Amino acid sequence: MRIRILSIFCLLFGTTIPLSAQDGGLVDFMDSIGKIYVVVGVILVIFIGLVIYLIRLDRKIARLENQIMDND
Amino acid sequence: MIKKHWWKALGVVLLIYAFTVGLLVPLKPGIQQVSPRSADAGTPITVLVNGYNTSYPADPTAIRAWLKVDSIHALAANSIRQTSRRAIELDFVLPASLPSRADVMPASLIIDEAQSGVQVLPDAVFIRQQVLDPAAGNIAWSQTVIQDLHKTSGMNFPFRNILKETIRNTYFHVSLWFAMLFLFIASVYYSIKHLRTRELIYDHWAESFTRIGVLFGILGLTTGAVWARFTWGAFWSWDIKQNMTAIALLIYLAYFVLRNSFEDAERQARLGASYNIFAFSLLIPLIYIIPRLSDSLHPGSGGNPAFGSEDLDNTMRMVFYPAIIGWTLLGYWLANLSARLLILREKYLSE
Amino acid sequence: MALIREIGWLLKKELTLEYRMRYAISGILLYVLSTVFIVYISAVRIDGAVWNVLFWIIVLFASVNAITKSFQQESGQRQLYYYSLLDPRAVILAKGLYNCLLLLVLTLLTYACFSFVAGNPVKDAGPFFLAIFLGSLGFALTFTFISGIASKADNRATLMAILGFPLIIPILLTMVKMGAQSMGLIQGNSIRSDIATLVGIDLVLLAVSLLLFPFLWRD
Repeated sequence: MRIRILSIFCLLFGTTIPLSAQDGGLVDFMDSIGKIYVVVGVILVIFIGLVIYLIRLDRKIARLENQIMDND
Repeated sequence: MIKKHWWKALGVVLLIYAFTVGLLVPLKPGIQQVSPRSADAGTPITVLVNGYNTSYPADPTAIRAWLKVDSIHALAANSIRQTSRRAIELDFVLPASLPSRADVMPASLIIDEAQSGVQVLPDAVFIRQQVLDPAAGNIAWSQTVIQDLHKTSGMNFPFRNILKETIRNTYFHVSLWFAMLFLFIASVYYSIKHLRTRELIYDHWAESFTRIGVLFGILGLTTGAVWARFTWGAFWSWDIKQNMTAIALLIYLAYFVLRNSFEDAERQARLGASYNIFAFSLLIPLIYIIPRLSDSLHPGSGGNPAFGSEDLDNTMRMVFYPAIIGWTLLGYWLANLSARLLILREKYLSE
Repeated sequence: MALIREIGWLLKKELTLEYRMRYAISGILLYVLSTVFIVYISAVRIDGAVWNVLFWIIVLFASVNAITKSFQQESGQRQLYYYSLLDPRAVILAKGLYNCLLLLVLTLLTYACFSFVAGNPVKDAGPFFLAIFLGSLGFALTFTFISGIASKADNRATLMAILGFPLIIPILLTMVKMGAQSMGLIQGNSIRSDIATLVGIDLVLLAVSLLLFPFLWRD
C-alpha cells in the first residue's frame, strides 16, 4: 500500500516540479509539434485521477472485507 | 452476461473510438506564423509564412495569396516563392491608402492551393497608414476578387492558431465536463427517488453519482488548467467558466460536509437529498446563464451558444458526442461500483 | 384558501415574536450600522464600482445573520406543535415571505446608511430598486431553505456559510451587475435579461422550496 502511494506521489511530483519551476524549456517543449504534449498532459492527468480513485475504492473494499471478517 | 453488462462495453468502445480517432485524425493545413506582423501602407513588404501540416508545391504559380482587410477589400500577392513544403514567401506592394479612415487596419492572410486547400490567418498583418484617403484606398484594394477557393480533402480537424493540436482536448476536457453534468443529473434523479420512496438504496446511488461527478469536476478543472497554461498563458486566468466550475465543486463538497454532520443514515439521506435537489436547481443558472453575462476566454461568450459552427465542425462532432457518451458511461460504471460498495456495507454492518 | 389563512396567521406570529424579542432585530440593525461604519472608515475613497460591490457584500452578510435564526428561535416542542397543525407549504411560504420583508427593510436601511456616509452613486433608481427587491426575494428563499437544513445540525453557522454562499453566487452576481448598470458603470441594455434571470431564479427557488420543504421539517 505504502509503495503504491509513494509511486503516485512520484508521478504527481514528476509532472508538477518542472511546471512550478516555470522554466522556458518546458514551455518550449509543450509548444513543440503543435502543442501535442499538452494533449498528452491532459490525458495523463485524467489517467492519474482515475487511478487515484481506484486506489481509494480498493482501500474501501479492503476495509469492508476486514470488517465483515471480524463480524463473522 | 451481455444483457447485464453491455453498457460497460459500449462505454469502453466509445472511449477507445474517441481516443484513437481523436488523436489520429490530422489537423487541417493552416498558417502557423507570419512575419512581419505590421507594415506601413505605400511600401512593399515580404511576408514570411510558416505553414502547419501544409505541403506547398514547388511551383509558385499553383499558390495564390491575398491580404484581406474587410469583406470586400483584398490585395493579391505580387510574387510567391516556395522555400520548403512548410514555408513560403509572399511579396505585396501595399497601396498608399487603406479603404477606411482608421489609422490601423488588421489584414487577414488567405493562402489557397490545390493540395492543402484554403488557409486563413485572421488579423495576420496590421497595416498603418499616414495618408487618409478612403476613396483611393477603395480603388486600390478592389482590384482583386477572391474566388475559386479549394477545399481540403479528407477527414480533418479544424486548425486554430492558438490551439493547434490541443483542439483534441475537446474530447477529453470538454466532454469530461459534460459527463460531469450528466452524473449530477443522475444524482438528482436518485435523490428524488429517495425522497419519494425513502429507500436508502437510492440515496447510496445519489451519493455515488455525486462522488464521481465531483471526481470528474476536479479532473475537468485540472485538465483545463493544464490546457489553459499553454494556450492562454496561466493555469488560472480568472476566466468566468473556470470560476463557475470551482463554485459548482464547492457546492458539491458542501454536500459531503452536510452529510457528515449527521450520524443517522436516514437523516443524512433525507437532508442530503433535499440539498442536492435544491443545489442543482441553482447550478443550472450558475453554469448556463452567468457565464453569458460577462466576457470569457471560452468559446461561446458574448451571448453565443458554445460550440457554434466555427469552433466545432462536423468532423469534430463525430468524435465529440461519442466521447461524451463514453465518459458518461464510464462515470456510470464507477458510480455503480461505489454504490454497490455502499449497499453492501449497509447490509453487512447495520446489525 | 386555508393555506392563505395559515400563512397570514404565521406571518402575524413571526411579527409578534420579533416584536417580543426586539433585541434580536436591533442586533441585526446594529450589525448593519457598524459594518457600514467600518467600511466607511477603512476605505479612503469609495468610488462607484467599490460602492456597488461593498454594498451587496454588506447586504449578503446581514442577510445570512438575519436568517440563520429563522428556524431556531422557537423551541423544538413548539415547532412540533405547529407542524402537527399546519401545512408545511404554509410554514415555508410564511418564513420566506417574512424573511423577504426583513431583508427588504435591512437592504433599504443599508442603502440609506451607506448613501449617507459614502455618497449615493445610483443614477437610475428603477433597476436598482428592482434588483434590491428581486434579490432580497432570492436571498430570503435560499437562506430560509438552507437554514431549514442547517437547523437540524449542530454546526449551524458553518453549514449556513458553506451551503449558502456558493448557492447565492448567481443571484449576487446578477445583482452586482444590475447595480453597476444603474450607476452607469457599464454600458449596454441587458437590464431586461438580468431581470428575467432574477425572476427565473426566484420562481425556481420558490417551486423547489415548496416541493422539498415537506421532506425537511418532519424530524
